[in-house]
Amino acid sequence: MRENHMKAVKEIIASVVKNNIDLVTENWLEEFILATDQPAQLAKVFVMLPRKTGKLPVAITNDQQEILHAAGFGYIRNWTIDRLSRVWLLSTLNSEDKDTFYSTVDRLFLAAEINEAVALYSALPFLAHPEIWVKRCAEGIRSNIGSVLEAIIENNPYPSGNLNEAAWNQLVLKAFFTEKNISSIIGLDQRANPDLALTLIDYAKERWAAGRKVNPQLWRLVGKFINAEIFETLKVGLQHYDQIEQRAIALAISESGYQPAKDYINTFPELKLALADGSLNWNSF
Amino acid sequence: MMGAPEAFDINAVKGMKFFDPHVHMTSRTTDDYQAMADAGVVALIEPAFWLGQPRTGLDSFRDYYSSLIGWERFRSSQFGIKHYCTIGLNSREANNESLAEQVMEILPLFVYKEGVVGIGEIGFDDQTAAEEKYYRLQLELAKEAGLPVQVHTPHRDKKKGTQRSMDIALEHGLDPYSVIIDHNNEETVKEVLDRGFWAAFTIYPFTKMGNERMVEIVKQYGAERIMVNSAADWGISDPLAVPKTASLMKMRGLSDQDIELVTYRNAITAFAQSGQLNETDFNAQIDLTRKFEGNTILRGGQQPRTDKSSIIIS
Ligand SMILES: [Zn+2]
Repeated sequence: MRENHMKAVKEIIASVVKNNIDLVTENWLEEFILATDQPAQLAKVFVMLPRKTGKLPVAITNDQQEILHAAGFGYIRNWTIDRLSRVWLLSTLNSEDKDTFYSTVDRLFLAAEINEAVALYSALPFLAHPEIWVKRCAEGIRSNIGSVLEAIIENNPYPSGNLNEAAWNQLVLKAFFTEKNISSIIGLDQRANPDLALTLIDYAKERWAAGRKVNPQLWRLVGKFINAEIFETLKVGLQHYDQIEQRAIALAISESGYQPAKDYINTFPELKLALADGSLNWNSF
Repeated sequence: MMGAPEAFDINAVKGMKFFDPHVHMTSRTTDDYQAMADAGVVALIEPAFWLGQPRTGLDSFRDYYSSLIGWERFRSSQFGIKHYCTIGLNSREANNESLAEQVMEILPLFVYKEGVVGIGEIGFDDQTAAEEKYYRLQLELAKEAGLPVQVHTPHRDKKKGTQRSMDIALEHGLDPYSVIIDHNNEETVKEVLDRGFWAAFTIYPFTKMGNERMVEIVKQYGAERIMVNSAADWGISDPLAVPKTASLMKMRGLSDQDIELVTYRNAITAFAQSGQLNETDFNAQIDLTRKFEGNTILRGGQQPRTDKSSIIIS
């Protein structure tokens, strides 16, 4: 299933790329794709690509966008043509020999400049043998460079589909620390887990101790796991002055099955009201 | 040259934009970026150089080149300063021939990358045979890649070293207009300009060029094909050398047009020959705020500026 699904997505991407480049560049890319010594040529073609394609935002037809959106790749619309072309190029690589495929692509990671790294991590969902890129993805989460981190964290289905729990939790935590757009993390709610919830609660306490605010999206990952111990921390948050944090905690509690917390919320008239009118959801933060 | 020292008055050059075409930010602190941005530096070039001690393996070179186009570029962008680099094997380390051979093999991987505006800094230090060999090989690489060359001229025996650097560049068929000869002084400037090369001057305390001397040079030779840089590195050096020199030039009566040429425009003209440098990219940061209205300009975990005059650190 996944194979067929991805095949269709790759075909759309191929047509988007071709619509956005000139004929000379298209021939240059075709020549590379048919080449028998791809591994030897890849580095130069990959590095020089933006000089051939330019760096304009891609133009996508409505039909193409609809299919991409339905497949979960609607975000590609916001890419530049050099980024999309690089991702597409990597998705077409001959991957029959897994070891050669791995070392050919891994060499690009080793010498990548910022835009190359962004394209490489953006390509993870499109690369063959997804299991061999797990370590590389976990390594990428250690990056200090904003745009590289965003390429991994935001709108990328690879991490939630492939990372183990420890690496996944690290990604989410890093996203909070570096102030990324949390709601654009794919698989965020599905991969919520008790360990992550506890770590995030410790992080929230540190923030409060330092007199800093807590991103309201944090509580979204806590709701499912509320127990007596976690409830004690939520109480501290609810007694805090910050209205937005209070509302987020109230929403998390409303999604939990922990009755004492639900009862406690009812002692705050404004929160009770906000929950009752149904307008509160995670997109409102 | 005695006399009462004058304070750097940033107001004299307020609103002017500067380009430092030679500065080794890898060895500077983030506070320097902040000070440079405040003083009007909008873009810079970081030439690949040596770290104060020789690297012992290829991977250190690879990591260093990667940091110039990766982390360092990002760090700079956090202050709205556009960071470019030149890539090359420096003259001192050319003398370790077995390592130099390996470095030459990975250079083509790096010189085509985005934002690499030249081959540099290359040239002579001790003026050994090995230095000459790798200088020549890298000139060939520059020709093949269509990139300008940033030439480091030696401290010792400078005049001869500078002449020899130019002779060899011409021998390899390079257009002098694509070659920037760096670290000039009163003894070298005339010949460099007469032969059609760009003459760069490094304002560096004690060892290279002082900016009072610099003012006199521009008065004598004009502003055409002359550029000023700080070459600030791990030594006692000044990352504000370019704006400070502009300020001094202003005080000493040079025209705004000449000041702009030697502290901004000429370097752009010279290195834009790479096709990798575009003045409109300098404002990327400002565009970001426009594009993502309502979002913070601070990206990637960067914290708001601290007030350095306050005793409270929060
Ligand atoms: Zn230097």
